[in-house]
Amino acid sequence: MKKLSIFISLLAVALSVNAQSNFLLYSFKGNVLVVENGTESKAKVGKMLNSNATVKVAAGGAATLICNEAAMFTITKAGTYALNKFGDSCKVSSSSVSANYVKYVWASMTKDAGSPGSNRKAFMNTVGAVRRSVYPVYIDPKLDTVNYTGGEFPLSWTCYCETKTYNFALFEKEDLTKPFYTAVISKQKIPITDFSAKLTPGKSYFWTCSMPETDENEDLKVLNYVSKEAFEEVLNKFKSQGLSFEAPAEQAYRTGFMLEDAHFLAEAYQYYSKAVSLDKENVLYLSTLMSFKKDYEIK
Amino acid sequence: MSHQEDNHHEDHHKPPKKKGIRHHARKVHGRVTKYLTERDTLFATIWVFIFIFALSQIPLNLGIMNPIKLGLKDFDFNDITYSKLGKKADTILDKRITLVNIGYEDREALSLMIDKVATYGPKVMALDALFDEEREPHKDSMLNATFIKHKNLVVARQLLLIGKEGDTVISDAGYFKTGTQAHVNLFTDSVSSVRYIEPFFIDHAGKAYNAFSTEIIKLYNPEAYQKLLKKKGKKLIINYSRKVDNYWVLEFDNIMNDGYDSSLIKDRIILFGYINTNKADLTDKFFTPMNERFAGKSIPDMNGVVIHANIISMALDKSYIKKVPLWGTLLLAFVVCWLHMSFFVHYYLESHIWFHLAAKIAQVLSGIFFIWLGIYLYDRYRLKVDMKLTIVTILMAVDVIYFYEAWAVWMHKKFNYKTVFKPHHH
Repeated sequence: MKKLSIFISLLAVALSVNAQSNFLLYSFKGNVLVVENGTESKAKVGKMLNSNATVKVAAGGAATLICNEAAMFTITKAGTYALNKFGDSCKVSSSSVSANYVKYVWASMTKDAGSPGSNRKAFMNTVGAVRRSVYPVYIDPKLDTVNYTGGEFPLSWTCYCETKTYNFALFEKEDLTKPFYTAVISKQKIPITDFSAKLTPGKSYFWTCSMPETDENEDLKVLNYVSKEAFEEVLNKFKSQGLSFEAPAEQAYRTGFMLEDAHFLAEAYQYYSKAVSLDKENVLYLSTLMSFKKDYEIK
Repeated sequence: MSHQEDNHHEDHHKPPKKKGIRHHARKVHGRVTKYLTERDTLFATIWVFIFIFALSQIPLNLGIMNPIKLGLKDFDFNDITYSKLGKKADTILDKRITLVNIGYEDREALSLMIDKVATYGPKVMALDALFDEEREPHKDSMLNATFIKHKNLVVARQLLLIGKEGDTVISDAGYFKTGTQAHVNLFTDSVSSVRYIEPFFIDHAGKAYNAFSTEIIKLYNPEAYQKLLKKKGKKLIINYSRKVDNYWVLEFDNIMNDGYDSSLIKDRIILFGYINTNKADLTDKFFTPMNERFAGKSIPDMNGVVIHANIISMALDKSYIKKVPLWGTLLLAFVVCWLHMSFFVHYYLESHIWFHLAAKIAQVLSGIFFIWLGIYLYDRYRLKVDMKLTIVTILMAVDVIYFYEAWAVWMHKKFNYKTVFKPHHH
């Protein structure tokens, strides 16, 4: 009898371990791919997936799945998702209507209804205007393309929102479905040096910044990691365009200006700084440097 | 004697026995039943119903001055089960029905879409859209040809009810007169919740018109249709089981790009209709008991095609809602009111200082209990019991006692009517 009960217990444990969830692809938006048994295919509404499958959602896409025909959840962020990681999303509330009724009555009777005078935050959050759908995280067009070889320079953004953190994501040009570098940032900028070790010279990348628990920001900006040789070529070209009687400060300022125009922002910052250090009395150099620092959030 | 004294001495030193639940239950039971069989309790209960009847017979419609009455006009306690208590939240997808969102596609696109879907072998197709007048000739021709081609396609039409009783019918098929047609009229006004369906509309001549959902059921499942046929001439309460998320929904792009599994079409009911989950888009949207707000101001929550899908699901599942007849509702209200009246009379006569406090507590607790009972019966046994009358009688009973006391004392003086109420007893 004892052996039998042990056998039944082991069997139950084995069954629970092997119990696999089934996922139904209910709907999708944008570019969504499914990988099953090593085979990648386009997503199809109504397709049954096992828990070993993987779903790839491209930037701007979304996929809604139903686990075990009961629990529905939606993936809105771009990335590659193994379905066996969604065990928590398969749980369904088992509370009866009667139990929920008791909870509801108790919650209603013990909850303070509040009043407009005492809870301004709750009552002032309804706006009386049309809302155009602009993503709350705004990245200045000045940062549309950044050519970078080295040095301190931040990628920055602004947000008229209350979030305390931002999700920074860096994509390789060849794969926009999954960011190869992500970071949760508490400030509204990230120094390129934080992730420059992961970049390969000569390659182009896309970056964006999103608010947590919202759709991903579709505004992707370009970051070109330029090789030292390519940069030297550009720099020499700029330097050679100067006049023969050009003072070192003048040359530094002009080079900085031309580098900024060519989107070499980190390098332009170095040359503007150099111009100011060589001619501290020049108001133009100083004001240009200050404006540059303000525009690009350099502290 | 000394022995008795000893016993008495021992009893004196024993701690007093705790009063158990049984004791309190007996006490409550006594408070409810002491006056239960008194003539006054019965008559006071009858007076409650006389008052309710008299108030309902006032020929003036005072609803305009009564915001509570206006607010409760379309109120049903069972609606709370959907909006607050999670009823049907985990209902599985209906595998017999697939919805196809027609969006704002033109007649040519609709024709192409229906023809494409038809190639995957659906058992029944139905188009929940009305076409009032002609448009571009070639597109009209394409759609007309589609209607003629598919014998398993049901097309929406509207019944125009005329005559004093509204029992003379003009069938308005719109621009297209072809194909199998069925009416999409819903049994509601434009601002109330859609709660009922008339599966068969019968005109003054006794001619029956199959509703849109009825016609679909007829083609899909003759056995379910026979069951529905037995309810001819009746209004049915719609047993809502699914929101739009609990049905498969395909978009135009899914259909035309083959972005779906063919099993979603094969041997199923395919309902083509306008679906939009955007709350600001109220096109073809209606209030239903599944609305997130069960009372007060709200916005319509369900597209017409999803309502039709719910009716079809109910008929195929044979999960009709049984409604307790009026006599049952009255009997329940009378018995409950009688029990409460007995309790109230007890406090009124014997502990008047606590009367209002006890009565208010009893009213609140009874209200909570009877609302739960109604919800439980509806959820568990699909039995709809209207608890509103029961709760109104409990609320009115307290006020009627004052009237009844005056009436009983007057009767006592005039006709020597025997009563437990005494003039100015308190």
